[in-house]
Amino acid sequence: MHVHKYEKIWLIFGITTLIVFLSVVGVSAFYAGNQPPSCLTVIDPEKVDSTAPFNEPGLKKVEGKDWDYELVFVAQAFAYTPGDVEVPLGAKVKVIATSKDVIHGFEVAGTNINMMVEPGYISEHITTFDKTGEYLILCNEYCGAGHHMMMSKIKVVE
Amino acid sequence: MAKAELKSNTKTEIEDSSSLKGTLASVFFIGFFIIVLWVGVYFLYLDRF
Repeated sequence: MHVHKYEKIWLIFGITTLIVFLSVVGVSAFYAGNQPPSCLTVIDPEKVDSTAPFNEPGLKKVEGKDWDYELVFVAQAFAYTPGDVEVPLGAKVKVIATSKDVIHGFEVAGTNINMMVEPGYISEHITTFDKTGEYLILCNEYCGAGHHMMMSKIKVVE
Repeated sequence: MAKAELKSNTKTEIEDSSSLKGTLASVFFIGFFIIVLWVGVYFLYLDRF
């Protein structure tokens, strides 16, 4: 089969690019350990208030883990608990969230923290808060009549 | 009755398609555009927490 020289160049270029893009995703998943926010950790949505760690929402310092703090959020129509929270600058935090009723969103605007919060599942995201400022948390999954008013705040302070 | 003239005198132009330089240039243009976008979005992702 005759393949034109230019076609060969283009095919090699295209396939190489594809391999590079996919390798980045692979390294991110298997070397850096990135995973979907909700990775099959389950909870009884009717017993959220009495199940640890959701019985005490908010920021908690933890010892002996890869992260320094755990930031626990409970989402329900149409609010987050806690309503606003302060995080020290540079803290490595595991954000843990679940829902008591319907599917909510958990988007910290302007950051990579953006996850679905589903009843029955626990969503997690580990990050280092390395910029000060006030960050708005928004629900980006339509959850009902008060959806547009559902918000919370994270203040990153020194 | 005169027969309708069926013979066409227009000559079909056959373009010379042996040169693929323009094709190569345009696919590389799109290819690099996609790569620039991809890298831009990736660094945006890395830059934020």
